[in-house]
Amino acid sequence: MDQRRSSKLTWLLIAIVGVLTVCPVVMLVLGSFSEGLTAFGDFTTDKYVEAYTNPEFFEVMLNTTIFVLGSSTLSTVLAIFLAYLNTRTDIPFKFLFKIISIIPMMIPHLLFSVSWALLLNPSNGLLNLGLMEVFGLDNAPFNIYSMWGMILIEGLLDLPIAYLIIAPAMASFDVALEESSRVSGANSWRTLFKITLPVLRPAILAAFILGIVRSLASFAVPSVIGMPGRVQVLATHLYEMISTGFATDYGKAAAVGMSVLAASVTLIVVYRALTAESEKYVTVSSRGFRPTVIELGKARMPLFFLVGILSFVLIVLPVAVLMYTSLVPYSMVPSARAFSMMSLKHWHDVLGDPISLLALKNSLFLAVVGATLGVILSVFVAYVIVKVKTRASGILDSLSYLSFSFPGIVIGVGFMWFFVQTPLYATIWALLLGYIATYLPYGIRPMSSAFIQIHGNLEESSLVCGASPMTTMRRIIVPLLVPGIVSGWILMASMFVRELTLSVVLSRPGTEVLAVQILRFSEDGLWGRLSALGIIMILITTSLVVAATLIGNRFKIA
Amino acid sequence: MEINIRGVSRFYYSEGKTIKALDDVNLTIPANQIFTLLGPSGCGKTTLLRCIVGLEMPDAGEISIGGEVVWSKEKNISVPPEKRGLGMVFQTYAIWPHMTVFDNVAYPLQVRGMAKETIRERVAKTLHFVQLDGFEGRPATKLSGGQQQRVALARALVAEPKVILFDEPLSNLDAKLREETRKELRAFLGKLQITAVYVTHDRVEALALSDSIAVMRAGKIIEIGTPKKIYFDADHRFVADFIGRANLVKARVRGEEGGYTMVDCTLGSIACQRRDIAAGSEATLCIRPEFIRIVGGEAAAAKNLVNGRIESLVFVGEANEAEIRVGDMQLLAKIDPDAKLSVGDAVSFTLDPAHCLLVAI
Repeated sequence: MDQRRSSKLTWLLIAIVGVLTVCPVVMLVLGSFSEGLTAFGDFTTDKYVEAYTNPEFFEVMLNTTIFVLGSSTLSTVLAIFLAYLNTRTDIPFKFLFKIISIIPMMIPHLLFSVSWALLLNPSNGLLNLGLMEVFGLDNAPFNIYSMWGMILIEGLLDLPIAYLIIAPAMASFDVALEESSRVSGANSWRTLFKITLPVLRPAILAAFILGIVRSLASFAVPSVIGMPGRVQVLATHLYEMISTGFATDYGKAAAVGMSVLAASVTLIVVYRALTAESEKYVTVSSRGFRPTVIELGKARMPLFFLVGILSFVLIVLPVAVLMYTSLVPYSMVPSARAFSMMSLKHWHDVLGDPISLLALKNSLFLAVVGATLGVILSVFVAYVIVKVKTRASGILDSLSYLSFSFPGIVIGVGFMWFFVQTPLYATIWALLLGYIATYLPYGIRPMSSAFIQIHGNLEESSLVCGASPMTTMRRIIVPLLVPGIVSGWILMASMFVRELTLSVVLSRPGTEVLAVQILRFSEDGLWGRLSALGIIMILITTSLVVAATLIGNRFKIA
Repeated sequence: MEINIRGVSRFYYSEGKTIKALDDVNLTIPANQIFTLLGPSGCGKTTLLRCIVGLEMPDAGEISIGGEVVWSKEKNISVPPEKRGLGMVFQTYAIWPHMTVFDNVAYPLQVRGMAKETIRERVAKTLHFVQLDGFEGRPATKLSGGQQQRVALARALVAEPKVILFDEPLSNLDAKLREETRKELRAFLGKLQITAVYVTHDRVEALALSDSIAVMRAGKIIEIGTPKKIYFDADHRFVADFIGRANLVKARVRGEEGGYTMVDCTLGSIACQRRDIAAGSEATLCIRPEFIRIVGGEAAAAKNLVNGRIESLVFVGEANEAEIRVGDMQLLAKIDPDAKLSVGDAVSFTLDPAHCLLVAI
């Protein structure tokens, strides 16, 4: 492609991505200074004053701080522990670690939270009921509807992403760094704290910060676990402002959202700086000795047992609980009686419920059409970022990364301000645009790595061999891109199927989606129907992820 | 300090097969020498080094350093690496990227709980020794490969160990720098009263650096000797072949004559350096390319005169590498780069009996 055309393409993409990502932010800012949705543009600072002088606000901030720090500490510590066991010790059944790291793709956060609520809620949580029966207790021993419950669930949900950051860093760690410390006279503990952990610091910090960003944006846990226990964090505080019937105030929500957005964007900037830092830490490339595996000896089985429990808790338990709840008429401890009462009643109810069916249809439409459009846009953006290296493509790179830091609910409020001004308001297209804008980085990433794989020489040698640019495109570039396109499409589609945070703001009667419908069931306590619909959602996302893995394996270049 | 290795074996198990990385190794490394373990990759040299330093546990045998047993299967002794008081330079240097040069070098002293002032003095002294004065404050990752290598050396030396170990320390440097660093290393080690154990697969490095070389193959030590002994006078064909380029010619021993061992081979009757090999038995005649001397027609009476024809000629700068055909043999010869020769010429050459090496088959 000649320079003029590629520069035109670059600016066109900057315009598209710019509108998608900057527009909701601008609208959020303008909205926060406006009187209300219908009085857009009338400048006022009342909303800020109102939002930040609210006596509740201090408590919300405190809760949010405890929640995000607690959950990201939990996920980071667990991830370090698991990554160390997997990469450095002789723990058996290492494939379990891989499963732990990809499972959250299959079980949506909303359903994971719900399944824990079903297990540990104080009135009829299955585990609580069981424990009360066994030990003859009068009160439920655990109450998941609390701060510790939120931290526990969010920590477990963010564990896989922390693991995916820390494990590769640990695997590529040059063991000679530790060995030279041992030879220098330091024992194992000193080596761990003076050498191993400090060298891994950028990766650990990156995991921690990403954990903060994700828990700050998290809506599933605060709404399912936090709201029943009246533990308010920023996400639910915002949600209450815009959802509680007659008193919706999008201006105040925008004002509060501004600080969440600012915090989130700042953290992502720090995160990117840290990942760049960790690349700097690469010294002489190691082609040294294979890493020594630490023999766990007596601790091997107990540690494996721990990992086993963790995988059970992360993978089997949520699905099992949902399956069980979808079949029994009301919450009861599994027993002969419970099994005899099982029926498909909830499934019939859900499949006969017009709103649930509409939500299913909408979600599938958004997944298929949204992912297709998203991937097409991603292909062009990734092409420009990777292959056209101009200053303009650098702008595009930063722009496309920006929405990575957008907390869904905040950006939803921004979009709300925007869509109200357009005929798109309350249509499925509003959701479609919002989804693509928010999840664009997830499409661009696999595409960029696919493009990076296509070394310039591959194209050039095809041209030198006498193939026309079109033939080169058809025979060389597209086949090499297929795996990236497929995995990008499936990643986006599976995220759209379970999208919650943006949808709770933008979805209106007639544009319900699966996750929102599940949240409604949860708010109404219709656990049976919720579970049935949840299982359907898990089936869709699981089959998408399985398909992605299979196709990925087939196209894997040896 | 002397290092004694008695009956040390180390096995790996992979996919149901047992690999003998070390197979009953017996070795005495004399004090205050540069001792090199040389061999092709996978011969067990690095494993042996790691067993000495304590990063790997042998499956059998005993290792003692300076009279103290640091590892013994029978006596159930296993001293961890941090208690052995050694210094080691790793192949990847293992410079800690989160520390400055000073912190890297000071680490062994800090671990030993020395006073801050003493540490500063000794680090400065050691950095001066490796010619890195004034580099204290630099982040370790901001150094070139050669500088990192010297930081690694300083770190290994700073605690003044009696033994220092090197695991292919020059293999990550480019060719020119490798040669310079090799010379420096030789000079550094020459100034110290220290036992150095050096692992490499590079024969030139081994020859240039060592006081003694042990050549290893498949977990066993094949031969030990000084560089000259190994190069000129190896007892084993594998060693002679590995240590330098060599023409290996099958020969049959005829007997002794005038202080030489006489053999018959494709090249004719050749007088070789004396060896106690029974007449009539087979042996391998080993001739290094640089000892094939082209002569003019007038030297007809010289000893070990062979006639042949030049089959190919490659100019490599400091020499012409010629392939000379003699009967059904092809010999590689390094000849004067400005000799007026061309492909197809008939040539005569002599072989100095002192450089005609007979090795057992």
